[in-house]
Amino acid sequence: MSISNQVNPIATIILSALSDQVAEKSIVWLAQKREKILLSEKEMDFFMAFSQASRYFKSIPFKLSVDQFHESQALCAGLRMDLWSQLQASRVYLLLQYPAADSASWKSTLQKLFETGDMLEIEALYSALPIMPFAEEMIGRAREGLRTNITSVFDAVALNNPYPSTYFDESAWNQMVVKAIFMQRPLFKIQHAEARANQELADIIIDFAHERWSAGRNVIPELWRFVGPFINSKNIEDLKKVVEEGSELEKRAALLACSMSDFPEAKSLLEKNGEIENEIESGKLNWDWIGEEAMALA
Amino acid sequence: MEMFIDPHIHVTSRTTDDYEAMRKAGIVAIIEPAFWLGQPRTEAASFKDYFSSLVGWERFRAKQFGIVHYCTIGLNSKEANNEPLAEQVMELLPLYAGKQGVVAIGEIGYDDQTAAEDKFYRLQLELAKEMDLPVMIHTPHRDKKKGTTKSMDVSEEHGLAPNMVIVDHNNEETVKEVLDRGYWAAFTIYPHTKMGSERMVDIVKQYGPERIIVDSAADWGISDPLAVPKTAALMRKMGVPEEHIRLTCYQNALTAYSQSGQMDELDWLNAEPIDQTKKMSGNSVLRGGQVPRVDGPADRVEN
Repeated sequence: MSISNQVNPIATIILSALSDQVAEKSIVWLAQKREKILLSEKEMDFFMAFSQASRYFKSIPFKLSVDQFHESQALCAGLRMDLWSQLQASRVYLLLQYPAADSASWKSTLQKLFETGDMLEIEALYSALPIMPFAEEMIGRAREGLRTNITSVFDAVALNNPYPSTYFDESAWNQMVVKAIFMQRPLFKIQHAEARANQELADIIIDFAHERWSAGRNVIPELWRFVGPFINSKNIEDLKKVVEEGSELEKRAALLACSMSDFPEAKSLLEKNGEIENEIESGKLNWDWIGEEAMALA
Repeated sequence: MEMFIDPHIHVTSRTTDDYEAMRKAGIVAIIEPAFWLGQPRTEAASFKDYFSSLVGWERFRAKQFGIVHYCTIGLNSKEANNEPLAEQVMELLPLYAGKQGVVAIGEIGYDDQTAAEDKFYRLQLELAKEMDLPVMIHTPHRDKKKGTTKSMDVSEEHGLAPNMVIVDHNNEETVKEVLDRGYWAAFTIYPHTKMGSERMVDIVKQYGPERIIVDSAADWGISDPLAVPKTAALMRKMGVPEEHIRLTCYQNALTAYSQSGQMDELDWLNAEPIDQTKKMSGNSVLRGGQVPRVDGPADRVEN
């Protein structure tokens, strides 16, 4: 097998970016391991290198130039390598070197990596889902990632990752959003939230809100985003309640949800709050703003 | 606030109440040695999942309470006696021993001092040497004095430097030889039995603080996860100098295990998690200027 034929364009960007920000010995180590992984084809060599990357790369921010970032977007829209760590990037680089003969052997190797990984290793694997070989066959694994209660691992699948919106069916998508709400994750970091909104999800969220309110608890304001396009005669009462009784942030979130709806009562609720309606129209009040504010208050 | 390290505690068996109390008492970092679980394991996969939990779930659990969790990886002496299984476990060890936050091979050594225990102890000493990791030795609870001497003899036979070896579960009878031969001498404070805090105070008064380490070894049995801070308090009451308390209840463990390159004081002094989704300004192409959030009760996960 020829090594040069294996070059993956994302790996090229990672290597070039890492070369600008880590010690030369780390790059030399990476090159040695790459060769070893390609030539030996022994899983163990790959597994050891994947773990021991922590001896050469740190969990500090991985810097990408604007050009490198745009190049990566052309290859995989929504891939947020700019939010990775250097260690994470080095592990994904090694992952992209592993020769995957077919999907069955790739899945079997990845299963072992996932089953024996530490927290940071597993995060690196999930964040690389959209650029993996046979990505379309990793849906089951991604759903498994959503079952974790380790926040950072859940985040690696659900947040700042184009994988879920690209590959998940409605049930997997809804499972993810509901769990993200339950875990109080910053929902604005879920990519393509609007495009994947659906009636079923809106209904589950309304039930969830009722359950929390019965227990005398609050729900995160970002959740109304997923109800907005599905406001109807039934759930409008919930939005009215939030606008009347909620905090300033909750009120804004409920009205922002109303602005996503054509339901007449939602429109009139918005009109009654002209000042906030103006904030929405001017673009000042949007879901990113709500999410950032909610995070600052947490 | 005074800081403590408990360099031997099986937190997998402890509750979140314990974690809260430990953090409140000043414990900032812990080491969880791989050990047996009371119920013998019959499959290699049980070991795999256990090791994975030591570098995964338990690390996360500790972090939620502001405690940095490290571990040691090894095949314990009791289960070394199931030889066919032990062979399979040996194949798993290299996969975990090189991971981040694995500070030693351990706890290994002798239980009944059988031939099988001896075989796997030696194989793991070789692994530690190959990985350049310290070793945490579990000295036997029966025939302790001879077992402790033998543990050190065999370690030297395999060429390990005493400063890379922590001999645990010492008592008044074993401590002198362990220190004289240049090893780290760890003491497990057991409520009711064996080493109590009072006896520990006497040992520190007699031998001084050099290379002496206090731990709780709290597990699923009767044991006290606050043994280290409680012993420190007793030392203070009994007039042990502050510096000796700091060495035996914090610094010596750090010095011994940081020889792995996997344990760093900055891990808790500078505990702000590097959360890549909330980077400081300037580093992100698309967004910057946020104030990172400190881990706290809000991060605790509902199950």
